[in-house]
Amino acid sequence: MTGSLYPKLQQLIEGGTTVAMATITMVKGSVPREVGAKMLIHPAGLHVGTVGGGCGEADVIRAALDVIKDGDPRTVRVDLTEDISMDSLGVCGGIMDVFIERCGSADVG
Amino acid sequence: MDLSLLKELNRALRERQSVAVVTLTRGVSAPGMSVGDQCLVDPAVGSALMGPLRLSGAMVGQVLEIIAGRESKPLHIRTKELECDLFVEVHAAPPHLLIVGAGHIAVPLASMAHLCEFQVTVLDDRPQYASQTRFPTADQVRAAPLVTTLQSMRNVGQLDRHTSVVLVTRGHQHDVDCLTELIGDDLAYIGMIGSKRRIRAVWELLESEYNLDRSLFGKVHAPIGLDIGGRTPAEIAVAILAEIIMVQYRGPQAAMSMRG
Repeated sequence: MTGSLYPKLQQLIEGGTTVAMATITMVKGSVPREVGAKMLIHPAGLHVGTVGGGCGEADVIRAALDVIKDGDPRTVRVDLTEDISMDSLGVCGGIMDVFIERCGSADVG
Repeated sequence: MDLSLLKELNRALRERQSVAVVTLTRGVSAPGMSVGDQCLVDPAVGSALMGPLRLSGAMVGQVLEIIAGRESKPLHIRTKELECDLFVEVHAAPPHLLIVGAGHIAVPLASMAHLCEFQVTVLDDRPQYASQTRFPTADQVRAAPLVTTLQSMRNVGQLDRHTSVVLVTRGHQHDVDCLTELIGDDLAYIGMIGSKRRIRAVWELLESEYNLDRSLFGKVHAPIGLDIGGRTPAEIAVAILAEIIMVQYRGPQAAMSMRG
């Protein structure tokens, strides 16, 4: 299923857009998506796919925008273990590691 | 991700080949390796292709094992020279569903399986049933004798462990003929329609007339499907497909809400 994101990625790169690709590489406990789930983060906000939505995804998008700028691939840990309360509706109870890499013309390898 | 690697990956995906993208996600710096380095591993070739990430033979072996399991996974490597984390992203060739018998259940089953991204083959010896107009989303519809077609499919590698077989022919004798043909194959799943009483009679027949060992029947899902109380052909198709997916992911049989 994650395969369907790659043709889009090729289109973006060939069109000269630099994006970041986020991949869930490890999960513990209950999280909204599985290992291998992917998302493309677009500098203008035209993201493709999802790593689970909510606050966790917002953290991933913030980190991904940094990766687009500096080009350093990195792993971000998303912690969804806060107490379940009315203030934090997006809490699933688990943690996940998300690997983020830059893809595109500014990619120097 | 590097564009040439991405193009090669997209080609493999278009051609529905199994392939893995291996990424170094964390590692103590080894000469010539940095975080983000990638390569593709093609299980048909059994080695790493493309990309700057160099894998040892032992690492490739571990990656191939993960590909065989069909699920993406992190892989921790610890040797004398090196400690690192790899992420193995598996793109398994789509699972194959073979429906033998093109009757009432086959129609909704074929379209639901297509939605779940199975490659679908429908086989029946009656051309008026086994037609592309009746199964518009099926990848292959074959109007041909059942047992000999199963043999020829085996010969071209279409009865492998990515294949699930559902026996829903018009008559039990045909189901039994196909079952005895397939009982020795290493399939992802095999299931046969029929009531409990009917299935018991089939096992007795296979034991007495065909001299088949009872232990062979254990892997046959019969009566077919999860017990969700379905009645209509479409509901029974849901039960069958749910069972195939459950076996594929080795999932529990209980509903999500009943899990501990």
